[in-house]
Amino acid sequence: MKVVGQGLPRVEILEKVTGQSVFGADVRLPGPILFGKILGSPHAHARIRSIDTSKAERLPGVKAVVTAQDLPPVRFGRFVRDEEYFARTKVRLVGDRIAAVAALDEETAEEALRLIKVDYEVLPQVTDALEAMRQGAPLIHEEYDQYHAISMMEGRKGNICYHKETVQGDIARGFQEADRIFEHRFYAPMVHQTYIEPHAVLARVDAAGKVTVWVPTQAQFFIRQSVAEIFQLPLIKVRVIPTEIGGGFGGKMLPTVEPAAVALARKSGMAVQIVMSRAEDFQVANPRHPCHMRYKTGVKLDGTIVAREVEVALGTGAYCGIGAVTSQRAEMLAAGPYRIPNVKIDVYCVYTNHANCGPYRAPAGPQLAFASESQIDIIARELDLDPVEIRLKNAIQEGDQTPACGGPLESVHAKETLLKAAEAAGWGAKPREKNRGRGIALGYWLVGGYASSAGVKLNEDGTVTVMTGVVDLSGTVTSLGQIVAEVLGIELDDVHVRTADSDFAPHSTISAGSQALRSMGTATKMAAEEVKKQIMELAADKLEAETSDLVVEGKRIYVRGSIEKGLSLGQVAQLSLMHERGPIVSIQSSSHFPNQPAFSAHVTDVEVDPETGGVKILRYVAAQDVGTAINPLSVTGQIQGSVMQGLGQALSEACVFANGKMRNPTFLDYKIFSSLDAPRVEVHLVEQAAGDGPFGAKGIGEPSIIPVPAAVANAVRDAVGVTIFDLPLSAERVRMAMREKITQR
Amino acid sequence: MAEMKKRLRVTINGERYEKEVSPATSLLDFLRTDLNLTGTKEGCGEGECGACSVILDGRLVDSCLILAVEADGQEIQTIEGVGRHGRLHPLQKAFAEKGAAQCGYCTPGMIMAAKYLLDHNPSPTPEQALEAIAGNLCRCTGYGSIVDAILSAAKER
Repeated sequence: MKVVGQGLPRVEILEKVTGQSVFGADVRLPGPILFGKILGSPHAHARIRSIDTSKAERLPGVKAVVTAQDLPPVRFGRFVRDEEYFARTKVRLVGDRIAAVAALDEETAEEALRLIKVDYEVLPQVTDALEAMRQGAPLIHEEYDQYHAISMMEGRKGNICYHKETVQGDIARGFQEADRIFEHRFYAPMVHQTYIEPHAVLARVDAAGKVTVWVPTQAQFFIRQSVAEIFQLPLIKVRVIPTEIGGGFGGKMLPTVEPAAVALARKSGMAVQIVMSRAEDFQVANPRHPCHMRYKTGVKLDGTIVAREVEVALGTGAYCGIGAVTSQRAEMLAAGPYRIPNVKIDVYCVYTNHANCGPYRAPAGPQLAFASESQIDIIARELDLDPVEIRLKNAIQEGDQTPACGGPLESVHAKETLLKAAEAAGWGAKPREKNRGRGIALGYWLVGGYASSAGVKLNEDGTVTVMTGVVDLSGTVTSLGQIVAEVLGIELDDVHVRTADSDFAPHSTISAGSQALRSMGTATKMAAEEVKKQIMELAADKLEAETSDLVVEGKRIYVRGSIEKGLSLGQVAQLSLMHERGPIVSIQSSSHFPNQPAFSAHVTDVEVDPETGGVKILRYVAAQDVGTAINPLSVTGQIQGSVMQGLGQALSEACVFANGKMRNPTFLDYKIFSSLDAPRVEVHLVEQAAGDGPFGAKGIGEPSIIPVPAAVANAVRDAVGVTIFDLPLSAERVRMAMREKITQR
Repeated sequence: MAEMKKRLRVTINGERYEKEVSPATSLLDFLRTDLNLTGTKEGCGEGECGACSVILDGRLVDSCLILAVEADGQEIQTIEGVGRHGRLHPLQKAFAEKGAAQCGYCTPGMIMAAKYLLDHNPSPTPEQALEAIAGNLCRCTGYGSIVDAILSAAKER
């Protein structure tokens, strides 16, 4: 392969390094743009007695004030319709939307918010999933059983938004067969994606009532659907134009500020921009689910796992959001990438008075792997087994099924990935210095893929344009260009590929779930192949040769063996316009993809400061099963960034709340890794072309964050002999554990 | 609302500007809203993320923390003035080649911080490069490729 497999710079990179890229808050239009602001509830749980906006409306400079009265009475939600965009009768989280204003300048908009008077009856709140499940806990949705839900929403009761039991084998018999049984409880708190670009939107409504929304989103068709649903508009009346997106990590898929901007634009007749402050973004923009986990594992003395029982309680926040998907992910991942004959998994998705948690890079993945992989290490230590050995002994193999995975798994490279990481890190020769330790963890993710369609067209000069609506987060669009160039025997520079908007792009999957390249790449490759076929047919006709004798190479098509007898792609394109065939173009679709596993194994060396408990990452090795790396520069960069995000979750990040209000909504107090904290992440790719992805590529983005907290926790245990059951492994927590030597709970 | 506007004279990327601004306007808002120079980004508005980094009279500053009027009479360099006239600065070239920009949102600020470093220290060590971007948060790359780009650009110059 000539273009696939090359670490080429991203196609949009020059716009980015020169500051020309247009992100969410950078959109400018002719005419004035109003500043929009959203009024959020100061209470985590309260009944609304009345809302008075009259003073705000009279403030000079205010052009529109909107509340629930300005929207159709629609409850929305992808799984259960439990959310109203503006609260009508009740607020369920700090920041629940009450009203929005648009004004000529920001200060006036802020002043108008202060003039809106809301009379609340404050209700008892519940912010923890386990407490919310108890008898007598305050009910967050009193009419929950009357809400419309899709059929997968099982086990709805009280504050339990969803509950499902997944069983494999016979769990009671499994524990009877076990020589040793281990049981531990773990907790992972809420953490935030903290893309550097806060949520932002610009909305305009034209004279015919058509809504246009410029927004940095990972899922333009989701946003179009949501806006259409909330405003009860046909889809052709909503146009979503995705801007460059300054990081998403799952956090920019569900509607946040978009409907408010649309409501204000409709009411004022002017363009309205809303940009969240960092504090607002922290408080309300769909963070990672906090997660209680109980793991009970039965093993034989040789380390064979015979039974595993897992209970997971996810705090999904005030609304279900994407909690049902996170729960399903938890069902699939809870037992770990291991062959276990007897498994029982209970996942509870529970309403709390917090922000509705959303998708964040491998939803549920790092939390469950932290618990599961910490416990595997505890077991290895108790049975005097090597951590690599016990994992190799139990790792899943080709054709195995894990609970809820949907069928025999193909392209299973758990062992290769584990061995690659161990070898690269020099596993046998561990650091022996005092307070230093090494940890390993294995993670996996099941990558599916929604339907996608893409178009490829041959331009009159032989260059090629790709039509796709997939949003570029991590180099997907560049990889699509490489796929097309490879199929057509041209260079990436001969291909134009950028994201088109919802009016003009064929339906595209989301840039999330590690699926963009698998799904969109497949559709794009099919379209390129069809274009190639059309080129061949036309050329065969003109060159009086069989298509099987033609070669496409170097922007030319010629008869094999006589290179001078040929046509340039430009000539073919010109001929197609005069030929009865017409322009050469193809739009192809790919359908749903079955779950495909992708593995990541990480080894890290740490040093613990015995005085402070501070953990320093000395070395970080990440091996990942990537199938074929279409663009190794993108793949490696994505893994490095993902590890760094995981290190924050492992060591320093947690959303801290008091009465439902986040107490640390700044980068000073919510500590993500800076360049001074960052180790150099050594990436090792396990490349074995896999099943149905384009050129054998697998999903990349999520597997790489899953083992991080576990690998760090295991290294800390190795260094100082303490097991930490709660994330993050902050200096304070490690120091306390060292002092008390808590090793069991 | 009816506050007294102040007259501001600044030189930005070699161009002279004379504008009336509100005394409460930050330098960042002045650049982005009054002048439409949207290359400089806002990530937090509190001087914690570095996305709004610009060079003000030879100092690297968070433009969200500076009032526009404080910049009166001074020279400002923003990302729009780096590698002008269609010619890329070695840092821009290196950021592109090394994969040092992914989403690209921190990139303008990151390049200004890196440029400030190279303006003062033409051949930095990896540690000095890490130190130079310590005030600029990136959530995509893990920083390694950014350091590679800075060192590569230093060699190029």
